[in-house]
Formats: sequence, C-alpha cells, structure tokens
Amino acid sequence: MTWILPENSQLSFEGLSTPLHVLKGLGSGSQGQVYEVELAGERLALKWYLPACIARDRQLESRLAAAIGATAPSASFLWPIALLRPTAATQAQLRCRESGFGYLMGLRPPGFVGAIEHYGGRVDLELRQVLRACLELTDAFHALHSRGLCYKDISLGNLFLEPSSGRILICDNDNVDVDGRDLGSVLGTPGFIAPEILMGRARPGANSDLHSLAVLIFRLLTRHDPFRGALEREIRCLDEPARRRLYGEDPVFIFDSEDQRNRPDPELHPAPLVTWPIYPRELQALFLQTFGPGLREPGRRALTGQWQEALSRTLDRRQLCPSCGQENFPAIGADAPAAPSCWNCGTVLPPPLELELPCARVVAATGTTLHRHHLDPLQPPQWDAPFAEVVAHPSDPQLLGLRNASGSDWEVTLLQGRQITVAPGMSCNLAALRELHTDGGVIRVRR
Amino acid sequence: MPTFPNVRLANRPLHFIYLCDCSGSMAAQGKMQALNQAIRQSLPGMARVARENPEARVLVRAVRFADRAHWHIAEPTPVEQLQWQDLQAGGVTAMGEALELVAAQLASPPMEERALPPVLVLISDGQPTDDFEAGLALLLRQPWAQKAVRLAIAVGHDADQEVLQQFIGPDPEAQLPAGEVPGASGEMPRHRTGGSGRSPRRPLQASNATTLAQYIQWASTAVVGAASMPASRVDGDVSGSNIPLPDLPPTMVDMVEDVGPVVW
Ligand SMILES: Nc1ncnc2c1ncn2[C@@H]1O[C@H](COP(=O)(O)OP(=O)(O)OP(=O)(O)O)[C@@H](O)[C@H]1O
Ligand SMILES: [Zn+2]
Repeated sequence: MTWILPENSQLSFEGLSTPLHVLKGLGSGSQGQVYEVELAGERLALKWYLPACIARDRQLESRLAAAIGATAPSASFLWPIALLRPTAATQAQLRCRESGFGYLMGLRPPGFVGAIEHYGGRVDLELRQVLRACLELTDAFHALHSRGLCYKDISLGNLFLEPSSGRILICDNDNVDVDGRDLGSVLGTPGFIAPEILMGRARPGANSDLHSLAVLIFRLLTRHDPFRGALEREIRCLDEPARRRLYGEDPVFIFDSEDQRNRPDPELHPAPLVTWPIYPRELQALFLQTFGPGLREPGRRALTGQWQEALSRTLDRRQLCPSCGQENFPAIGADAPAAPSCWNCGTVLPPPLELELPCARVVAATGTTLHRHHLDPLQPPQWDAPFAEVVAHPSDPQLLGLRNASGSDWEVTLLQGRQITVAPGMSCNLAALRELHTDGGVIRVRR
Repeated sequence: MPTFPNVRLANRPLHFIYLCDCSGSMAAQGKMQALNQAIRQSLPGMARVARENPEARVLVRAVRFADRAHWHIAEPTPVEQLQWQDLQAGGVTAMGEALELVAAQLASPPMEERALPPVLVLISDGQPTDDFEAGLALLLRQPWAQKAVRLAIAVGHDADQEVLQQFIGPDPEAQLPAGEVPGASGEMPRHRTGGSGRSPRRPLQASNATTLAQYIQWASTAVVGAASMPASRVDGDVSGSNIPLPDLPPTMVDMVEDVGPVVW
C-alpha cells in the first residue's frame, strides 16, 4: 500500500498546537486512506481524502466543518472531531503533490470488527447480539434523524460491531447533512440505495435512509440481500445495468406478501430460507411494509421508532430451546402460538417464565438483560448498563436466577411470602420469586 | 451455546485474468522483475478485498506470452491460495494468441452460467508480433469478454498504445469534439481521472516500478471491489461502461528508497 502520509512521522497541521504522530496506515477505501495517529497522548483515527474525492465533492469541507461544529447525535457515531489541513512543511512531506485535507475521529476500539465479518460468517454471534446490534443501529439513526440530520450512505462497510456484546459504531460520517439541504453528491451504496434515488427521482435524505437502514438490518439478521431471489437467478452477468433492474427499476422483496416473482432459490439463496423464519411476525411485518408499499411510497417505510419497538420486543421474547439450546423468539401473551416449536430442531418450546415490568414483559432466558427502558419508556436503554441479568446457576444450568446488576439493594418477596434482600452482584432463584422491588420499579414473575 | 445459524452465503465467481507480456524486451531494465514483484506484492491487498466481499469468489488466472502464449496459472485459483511463480522474459510478442487463449476460457462453458463481470488486465511493453486483430476479434465475440472490465498497462514508453486502446475498447472521452472539457455540460466530470487527465479507459502509463506497482495494486483491489461489491455512488457516476471504474490512484511523489529504474 502506498500511503500519502508517511507512516511513523510527526506532522504539523494548521490549528493543532502540537504535532500529530502518524503511527501507521489502517486501510483505504474509495474516498481516502485511514491512519492510526496519536495526538497529545490520545490514539485517534485520521481519514485523509484522495485528491479525486475532494475534486468531486465540493461541499465536503463545509459539511465536515458543520458536523464538527455540532456534537455527535449519540455515542454510536465515530463522529468527526477536527478538520486537518497540512502546514506548508507537512505538505512537502506528503507523497501527493495536490493539496488535501482530512479529519480526526475516534479509533475503532479493540474487539470491534467490520460488520462484513458477521455477514461473511467469519465471527460467531448469538442472535440476541445481532438483534442488539440492529437495535443500537436504529437508536443511532433515531437520534440522528431527530436532530434533522440524515446519513445518506449507510451500508455494511460503514458499520463496526463488537461480536461479544452486539455493540456498534458507525464510521464514515462525512456525508451527514441537514435533511433536505442536499449539500453533497453521494447517492449511497448500490444494494442499499433507495429505488427513487437510484432512478434519479429524488435526492438522498432521511426518507431514503429508512430504506437503506431496513436493507442493512435485513442483511444483518438474515445474511442475505432482500432483493436477490429468483429475479437474480435470471441474471447472467451481475453488472451495473443488472443492479439497476434488481434494485431500482423493478425491485421485488424476496418475501413480498403478494408478488411471488422473486422468492429465494433453495440452491442459490439458502441463507434467507433458514434465517427469515426465525424472526417474529411483528418484525417481519416492518420489512414487508418497507420493501412492499414503502418501495414506491417512501412515506410508508417503517420509522426508526417502529424498528426500535419491534426489535426490543423481539429481544424480550428470547427463549432457549430445551433440546438444542438455540434462541427462539415466539410471540407471548395474547398473540402466543398454541405450541411454538424450535426453528432449528422442531422441539416444542415449553411455556416460558415471564417477568412483568412496568413497561415490558420479558421472557426469562439465560443471558437476557433488563434495562432502564423496561422500567421507564422515557429512559434511553443504556445497553452497556443493564440493571439485571438472567443467569443460570453455576452448577445447575436449568436453575435460572436474576442477578442484581444495579447499584442498590432489591427487596424481594418469595412465593411463600417471605421477604429477603438481594444485594448488588447477588442472584436470586426465579423459581422461588414472586416479585421484587428495584429502585426503578417492581418486577413480577408470571408463570 | 446458541449461535447465528451457519448458513451458506450466496456468491458469484469473479474471474480475474492477467495477460503478461514476457517478450525479450521485458528483460531490459528489470521490467520483468518489477512486474513479478508488483503482482506478488499486490496479492495480500487483493486477498483482503476478496475477504471484504463475501458475495464474490475471486478467482485468479494468468497468461504469459512471448514466442507463444501459455497459461501461467491455468486453474482459476482463489486469491488467498495463490502463489506467484516468477515470469521469465524471452522471445517475441504473441499477444493475439494470448487473447485467443482467454477467449476460449470465457466461452460458456467453461464459464459459469452466472458470474460477476470478469476483469482482464493486459500488461505489455511492445508491439504484438502475431495477428493481434484476429485474437481480439475472437475475444470480443464472447459475451463474457464484452461484459468484462478490460484494463491495459503500458510498461515503459515503447508499448503500442493503439493496440492497448483497442483491447480496452473506445474511450468515450476521446470522442468529444476537440476543445470540449469532459463533463463540461454536466456538473461532474464523467470520468474519475485521478485529476491529471489519466483515465482507466485509456492505457495506464507505468514509467517506473513504483507506478507499475500502484496500477497493479489498483487493478487487483479497487477494480476487483468495484466489480464485485460496489462502493458508494456519487452524482455523475454514469460512465459509458457496465461497471463504474474507481478513481485511479493519485500520482505519488517518488521517495528515494523505492525508486525502480528511472527511465525505461
Ligand atoms: N475510525 C476508524 N478506526 C479504525 N479503522 C477505521 C476507522 N475508520 C475507517 N477505518 C478503516 O479504514 C479503512 C478505510 O475506511 P473507509 O472504508 O471508511 O474508507 P472510504 O474511503 O470511505 O471507503 P468507502 O467509501 O469505499 O467505504 C477500512 O478498512 C476501515 O475499516
Ligand atoms: Zn431446538
């Protein structure tokens, strides 16, 4: 790789009082090169634009300046921190004569991988972590859109995730713009671009973000493309005109409720036939909506709030199959199917133990966590800080307990009416529990 | 332990074929070594792009041509398994025959029914000595060759630009009336030229080892990426071809340590 900024060098930039230590090149993309750098003792990432990218996108610098002036909509964005222009001395050291600029952002922390690693099946995640990642992604877009901003180019390439937790980070925030202002030339990434943008009928904005977001969620949940089914089978050479047909001129969702033309081919497209049926109807309905009427009428696409609700309800219904251990998400309460069976092995799932919280009903299954939003709908979920977690007894995995992950004592009423206190860090046997009082509200066990 | 189901991903082959001039003149000034080095050095980057594109199976082959043309790597080889054996220079320039060999492989069968557009990279430092026109005609009769991304790299200044341009196909910009700036009518330039009038639709001029390595790297990474999993699109990306080509690498200033032969 030929790096424009010399690796292992000290470079000065306008507006920086100390020199920046360029440690090494991390990678390159179609727009620029990304470096690991150190500034005043802090490790950061620097994106340096290629001259052709700067020449093509005349609003780039002003968009970046605006983003830097505003704060990140949420902690999930690797938001631009500072714009860097080389001093004359630095320019002379660059391997590219044309002058350029770049921006600083947070460095991807260890443990995070490109979302493509999950898509390509090279990291092991549990379904709940994938759902969590989708939920965090929608939270991030909800926050972005709520500020009147839009992203324009979300795709698998701009998303990092942490397999062990399902936490996400969104990079490449240089196309972010005020919705409707249209300062910029990016259209999106093929496969993710909304049909009206691909066909030139509209400009990218918050509405087209909703399409791209749905594509990304679908691809994370199913490891397949929502528009590659029988119609793709008919394409010999998958090139630009073919993509235009598939995603723009005549897009048909592979599971469309009426149009059967584009169903997955079991030979060519096995993944979605396995993965799609795992998810509850409520979640499937949002895809059917966004990739059904929403394809032609952007106003009918599922909104970020709907995704948040459906994804978090799905997570709350997680049950582990008693015979194969796989995660299942059958509906509970009034919508519960008579005898739900495991998508993986067909075993009938026993009726689960449910926890009733002020704002949710959550199925008790090992690994399930409870968060602030389960107690108070106005609280952000704070994914990295659950106040309770369902745990298995260390010597008897069938015995489920609820671990107090909060900072304060729980007052617990057992089935026989006895009162006990569960201190932070301790767990109590769910089989013996009637209700417990946390500082945020009451949890009742429903059997 | 529950895990995400281990599903088989949908993917398509992407055939990448080098056509390498091994005529005697390539022995001069270390050009042959520079090409061997450039290709060998480019493989890790190519493997990385292949890894980032799970929907493509990147398969590499190579033809060498001198007195005759031969498959240097006959078996379509997954890039991560590829080991580059050095090419040796010596002989004349049977470029036409090389195109015939490739034409036979792009017929269906042996081509798969469904694939991504193939990428053909022709590298030469001289003039064909056999019937280039016949070879090219045979090649371009194959639908897969018509769909292919065809790139050409001229090593040094004695390459036959005319012939390389014929291999690539007509350059849409060359047909503009004299004096008209490409893209002047639209907002953006139609071509991603890299800012110096260069275009991937014209032979890429590699005048030293560094530039040669850059172009090889570009073809084996950025172009493979574009042909398999496309990158972000911007306004004005409508190019004349069926695969919008990525920007050429920026012109880099030579640093003393990796300057190859200065003049060829
Ligand atoms: N903040 C970061 N920390 C660590 N690595 C990063 C960071 N941002 C980007 N990278 C890495 O740098 C490489 C290039 O980045 P990126 O894909 O954003 O470039 P790009 O030019 O915008 O490409 P494209 O637009 O084609 O996606 C990638 O390998 C990416 O993983
Ligand atoms: Zn099971």
